Amino acid sequence: MSFLERMDETLRRSVVWRSLFRQPYANDERSRAYAVMNNVFLHIHPVRVRQHAVKFAYTFCLGGLSFFLFLVLTITGVYLMFFYVPSATQAYTDILDIQTKVAFGLLTRNIHRWGAHLMVFFVFLHMMRVFYHGAYKPPREFNWVVGVVLLFTTILLSFSGYLLPWDQIAYWAITIGTNMGGYLPLFNTPVNRLLLGGLEVGQNTLLRFYVLHIMFLPLVAAIFLAVHFWRIRKDGGISGPL
Amino acid sequence: MADHDVKAPSESRVVLPVDPARRTEIDKQRVPMSARPYRLLALVKQDAVVRVQKEPDDTVMTWPHLLSIEFLAAGMMSILLLLMGLFINAPLEELANSNVTPAVAKAPWYFLGLQELLAYFHPVVAGVLVPGFVFMGGALLPYIDRGNIHATRMADRKTAVVLFTMLWLLGLTLTFVAIFFRGPGYSFTIPYLPFFPNSIDGFHFAL
Ligand code: HEM
Repeated sequence: MSFLERMDETLRRSVVWRSLFRQPYANDERSRAYAVMNNVFLHIHPVRVRQHAVKFAYTFCLGGLSFFLFLVLTITGVYLMFFYVPSATQAYTDILDIQTKVAFGLLTRNIHRWGAHLMVFFVFLHMMRVFYHGAYKPPREFNWVVGVVLLFTTILLSFSGYLLPWDQIAYWAITIGTNMGGYLPLFNTPVNRLLLGGLEVGQNTLLRFYVLHIMFLPLVAAIFLAVHFWRIRKDGGISGPL
Repeated sequence: MADHDVKAPSESRVVLPVDPARRTEIDKQRVPMSARPYRLLALVKQDAVVRVQKEPDDTVMTWPHLLSIEFLAAGMMSILLLLMGLFINAPLEELANSNVTPAVAKAPWYFLGLQELLAYFHPVVAGVLVPGFVFMGGALLPYIDRGNIHATRMADRKTAVVLFTMLWLLGLTLTFVAIFFRGPGYSFTIPYLPFFPNSIDGFHFAL
């Protein structure tokens, strides 16, 4: 019996536990299967998984943590939206107000900021782990492609959010970033103009980046995440050492 | 193989042949309908929830074996985020001003490798060819690496591992230089070491 299982057992036998929960905790296979199957959120998982797939040292939970960060960012982002107006004259003061006047505003902004950087970082790490396991090989080729789209979307999400505080860091980082993208041939001018909504970063840019950041890109990410998770199961679960 | 001793398909429907060396478990179950001596009358639920090639006893229950790890990981991440959020403030400088160019403007960290390349190459190379190549090459990787599909151990796929590792090490190095060694006007500077002529006190970087 593993350490965790022994802890679990001791806890459930204790007087305190039994005084709190009047029914015994069912740990037969059937109840455990129902715990997953009858829960709308948990049934993203199959009821049983292959043993190697649950080893922490195989996935390091990197994909799972990327998804968790996405959820945290969604929740903190929604809260921030209540206090933010994407206007060149108001955005900056809104951020100042969020930091000083809004309840838990500073904490929420901090978590949103650091969570965003961490998410980009974790998605990179997840990609590396998938690569070094050769987990992109058949039948998982397509899920790797979906993953690359997710990486791209994640970076764009972070980049579009970067402008929103409308301070000097934001303004010049986006100026540099969009200038680099501006060298794309074929749609050189159009892409740049489309993104900026003008010749340089301004009110139009702020509104465009805002809409991309809070609506368009999260939707794209959600759709591709759904495909990604569905494909993991269709491709036979997490790859394994052969 | 079972597909071969059945009579030749009467329909013209062709199922793409898969190189036997590249056949996965899923391909093996994909028998052409026309090659079967029976017709599909109904779809019946498969009896096992997961498709396993070995005996089903190499599986464990998702609850608690997988979910407890996931919840633990999510809990640790929450604690990390909470601590970071409590003790490190997100940067915020003065109001954006298009007339005041900062000493050095840097792109967000994940684009810094490209910005660094811009210092050496023509913009078409640094801004178009390199990112285009990395992105397309990255997406098409599974279709480029057509080696033995069962070679998942690193020792069996040295070319792929060496190439990929060199690529990200290069990206990391460029990013590192751009973060720590680029100062005013994007000139080469050395942080904190005053005995170098081009030293500056600190480095220019914001997260
Ligand atoms: C928003 C970004 C992403 C999220 C939330 C995500 C999530 C996940 C999760 C939860 C898994 C299950 C196994 C694990 O945790 O490692 C997984 C597996 C996988 N991911 Fe991602 N992923 C993302 C981006 C990527 C990227 C950038 C790639 C590669 C370019 C990728 C390719 C794959 C592949 C091939 C698998 C199957 C791995 C295996 O079977 O061992 N994903 N992903």
